[in-house]
Amino acid sequence: MATSRTTVHPTPKSIASYVRKNAKHVKKSQRHKHQSSESVREADYKGHHIVVRTHYEIEVDGRVVMGHMGVSNDGQVHYHPVPNLSFASAVDLVKQLIEIFPDDFGSRGHRMHRKKANTTRHGHMHM
Amino acid sequence: MAITRPNLLTNAIARQKYADGVNLLKREFTGPTTKSLGIPGPSRSVSTYDLFVVWHHTAMTTMTPPTQGDRNAAHRGPVFCPWHRFMLRQLELNLQRVLNDNTFGLPYWDWAADGQKPSSQQKTSSIWASDAMGGSGNPVKTGPFRLNSADPKSFRIRIEADVDGTLIQRSHGLRRAIGTTVSTLPNKADTTAVLTLTPYDVSPWDTTSSGFRNRAEGWASPGAPALHNRVHVWVGGDMLPSSSPNDPIFYMNHCNVDRIWEAWLMKYGRHYVPPQSAPTFLKGHRINDQMSSLVSAPMRPTDVLDMRSIYVYDSLSV
Repeated sequence: MATSRTTVHPTPKSIASYVRKNAKHVKKSQRHKHQSSESVREADYKGHHIVVRTHYEIEVDGRVVMGHMGVSNDGQVHYHPVPNLSFASAVDLVKQLIEIFPDDFGSRGHRMHRKKANTTRHGHMHM
Repeated sequence: MAITRPNLLTNAIARQKYADGVNLLKREFTGPTTKSLGIPGPSRSVSTYDLFVVWHHTAMTTMTPPTQGDRNAAHRGPVFCPWHRFMLRQLELNLQRVLNDNTFGLPYWDWAADGQKPSSQQKTSSIWASDAMGGSGNPVKTGPFRLNSADPKSFRIRIEADVDGTLIQRSHGLRRAIGTTVSTLPNKADTTAVLTLTPYDVSPWDTTSSGFRNRAEGWASPGAPALHNRVHVWVGGDMLPSSSPNDPIFYMNHCNVDRIWEAWLMKYGRHYVPPQSAPTFLKGHRINDQMSSLVSAPMRPTDVLDMRSIYVYDSLSV
């Protein structure tokens, strides 16, 4: 059954108030980058518990790519900033990133080196 | 009395109102700024429309639970359908407000109908005409969301996700690369097939699950990206990153996904899984869990399972 929350019309004041209240979630998502990604897959088979850890570090022309890369249990590789695609190959995925984010990689052959930021031993970078 | 959500292509009034409403929300500023949201660069006001972009990105980067890298607070798990229904309803309420029309219903794009055409004709469907959503390009140069660089009020992308998954400030026209990454839309065979699938979702509750949700979202083989995902990829450009609500066609795609879910609910009953008794690693996806919110009070999947007193679709023939 639809509740009253599905019928209450927002106002500019209510929008501002809720955004103020929820801004901490946006800020949190903005702070978390990864110089490397670790994907953990777990499964149970014939009474055995399987854990597969996959570690990725990606660079394009020396530029470290810092979104999170993951692997699903069927082996498909995905990248959080591109939510509708998955790939059989991490290299194919990175090629697609260059297509989707042309502003972030400069012109062809232009090497963009970034100063490495301080990282924790797990490779997470807090900006 | 319930409002009716119409087919975008057969209702010129809804088409015009939707475009007008989007442009009004794009020019409405209620107080939030890039600084208050932690978006780097000079502090600038964020429009109501762009707050929805921020909301979608934030939900997508909130992993559920944080210890794994697949399911997030809006995708790749059971909450996909109810969370987007929540988001669509909030946009609809805001469009009604700025249009001063409480009868306005969000229109949907029946993309599977276009998917019945040969691929070359899919790109020239009337939805991409100047009096509908405008066409393809970098930037899009036709329709209500075209860039007019001489007009500072012209439709522009102001906030988007970069390759690292961070929201950043930009200023460019809407980008589409229709039919470039994949050449065809989903078709009626795809939408018919998804309606045969039960249950709604099933363990492991992710992109490898069988069931309706994972097929509708577009992860399940064969043919991935399929259905919802395929439409994002087919349109391309600003529909690809996690800031995809930047393209107003985002809502037309999701309204059609919501229509497909409604057809499924009508066929099999208003069932949702996982129940609240499911393990805590499914927190954020269980029927009474609060869903990620930004511009309104949060809602739960149970709140949106039956919306027939609020809105109906002009057709559930998907």
